[in-house]
Amino acid sequence: MTESFSLVLCPESTIETESGLVDVPALYVLSTEVTWDLYDIYVYKLDEPEAGSDADAISRPSKPYVPPDRGFGHEGYPAIGMTFLAAKGFCDWLSIKSGLEIRLPSRAEWTYLATGGEDGDFCCGTNEDSLDLVGWHSDNSEHSTHPVGLLAANNFGLFDMHGNTAEWVSSDTRKPIAFGGGYRDSANDCAGTSFQKQVSSWNQSDPQIPKSQWWLADCSWVGFRFVIEADGIDQQLLEGLQNVINESD
Amino acid sequence: MSSTNPTDPNLLMSRRVFTASTAAIGAAAVFAQPSFGRIKGLREENTLRVGVVGCGGRGTGAVIQALKADTGSVLWAMGDLFEEKIEPCLGYTRDAMLDLDDEQGTATWSKKIQVGDRKFHGFNAIHKVLASGVDVIILTTPPAFRPEHLKHSVEANKHVFCEKPVAVDAPGVRSVLESARIAKTKSLSLMSGFCWRYQDQVKETMNAIHTGGIGKLHTIQTTYNTTGWVEPKQRKAEWSDAEFQLRNWQYFNPLSADHVAEQAVHAIDWQAWAMQDQTPVRCFGVGGRQTRPSLDETGNVWDHFSLIYEYADGVRAYHMCRHWPNTPSDNSAYFQGSEGNCTMQPWNGTHTIEGVNPWKGNAVSNDMYQREHDVLFNSIRKNAPVNDGTFMSHTSLLAIMGRMAAYSGKVVTWEQAMNSDVSLNTQPWEFGNREAPTIPVPGSTKEI
Repeated sequence: MTESFSLVLCPESTIETESGLVDVPALYVLSTEVTWDLYDIYVYKLDEPEAGSDADAISRPSKPYVPPDRGFGHEGYPAIGMTFLAAKGFCDWLSIKSGLEIRLPSRAEWTYLATGGEDGDFCCGTNEDSLDLVGWHSDNSEHSTHPVGLLAANNFGLFDMHGNTAEWVSSDTRKPIAFGGGYRDSANDCAGTSFQKQVSSWNQSDPQIPKSQWWLADCSWVGFRFVIEADGIDQQLLEGLQNVINESD
Repeated sequence: MSSTNPTDPNLLMSRRVFTASTAAIGAAAVFAQPSFGRIKGLREENTLRVGVVGCGGRGTGAVIQALKADTGSVLWAMGDLFEEKIEPCLGYTRDAMLDLDDEQGTATWSKKIQVGDRKFHGFNAIHKVLASGVDVIILTTPPAFRPEHLKHSVEANKHVFCEKPVAVDAPGVRSVLESARIAKTKSLSLMSGFCWRYQDQVKETMNAIHTGGIGKLHTIQTTYNTTGWVEPKQRKAEWSDAEFQLRNWQYFNPLSADHVAEQAVHAIDWQAWAMQDQTPVRCFGVGGRQTRPSLDETGNVWDHFSLIYEYADGVRAYHMCRHWPNTPSDNSAYFQGSEGNCTMQPWNGTHTIEGVNPWKGNAVSNDMYQREHDVLFNSIRKNAPVNDGTFMSHTSLLAIMGRMAAYSGKVVTWEQAMNSDVSLNTQPWEFGNREAPTIPVPGSTKEI
């Protein structure tokens, strides 16, 4: 199978946050949320030539207990319901496969990327009343995620930053947090600064103790995308990233 | 991570010392008032002693739920086939209780662990747990052992939490029906693991169907399409045949009943519930094993089934389940009636009816696993026994009947299924040599 994806280069900047000015480096950013097409390669070892072999001893998710896509749709839809650990694991796996340093964005980076470098909480001059142009939220989502990239991209060329799925970011909070709101959140809660902290109800229906480290049984609205710092990046490795994915069949 | 991170070695050590000393005090107090032979299980100090047989992930979850369900419930005895399963179960339970104490600023939750040295392993652990003075027993071993464990539990006058499915074959189902009948005569509570029956949103949807929300129900579609089970374990040199199969119990149908009856039975239970537990006339279906790798540890279970059930009043119910990695998943139900169609997708909270009387569910999601234990313990306290025996047996047989039909390629009637003498475990379970069951092939396997 060939899973195409695109990275966009977002310029460096210094942005104002609650805790002061933060430098954001130039970043290559996945233009959409990670889709099942990409995530399944990691979960089902589609990059390994033989079933069962895992030469790099990469840590991979267990098979999900619950229907991971909730019946919303699979191909082209954002991967959802993975734990923060699993999202980070995906980045670590792809780093090993590609030789690049692939990671989740920080909180400040994520907000900067979401707003496309513009002032305000929403991109493209939208607000909570005109968010339909760029984001799936509770008033237009019909209670479901949607295939990535259907609505307009922001100034950086990034799709679905507002709504569709909230996205895991790296942070030093006690519980993992996800930014930007999801399909079930109000437009107001899909702002670039909107975030939600994981709570126990997100994994209430996992009947096993210990609960899965990899899947959140009751969380159908959190996904992620990854970033790569552009400064000093090895262009050959970057070009090779597409091949890493494409060779996984 | 939580500030009460249970993996913090310093915390863990101090907690262990603390728990050990309080448990000893609790145990001494309880021993002063022996109460063997009771039926109702309420003793003067108001405790309900809980035992568990089957200390895996589900057993551990159920133990914690039992301790949370009732202020007087205490964990009293533990059993598992394998000795090394017991300490992790105890550890997770202890952590859960300590977390509750931390959250609530109490010291009472952790005192609920009063196991002492009542930890038993081996095939006869059930008997030791039952004889240890428990009032309530949690049966969470692989399903093959459930009928026998339930029989002994009811004989010993215990209230029971009985995980699904309740059996792997028809003789097992009949045994469970008899145990359930005896439990009723003894006023013992018997709670099944068919947890959706205790989920408020699904309950509300079933009520809408039962009260005419879609008119006359005529067609049911249920799915349980997932990507598989836990990874199978490669054989270790020191394992006997039997141990190898037991450690990969999901993958051997004599132990698990196959995935249609072990897992997809939850969706088949929606069908049974929508039909108000009316039993079908007959069933036929197909299935097979397309994506499971051919390894010793992946046993003999299939990886997909597609079944059609016919009911006396003309209702047809279609069920599909599969374990196919890297494919879309679906665990939902659709109910079609003379006046409307109901869509039920519990994993994303969709509960709607379109038709003459459009409807949208507005019940709030609840922790169905916890609710089951809340109901069980409340029924014991109120001396108003709950008894899920009939429906849990019938739903289990409904799935087993579908498996029989698909394995054999034949049309199977409810009576044939219920009266079948085919036992999947004719050889008693013990460690040692044991032939691996073969993958069923329609037309050549005796399954009914």
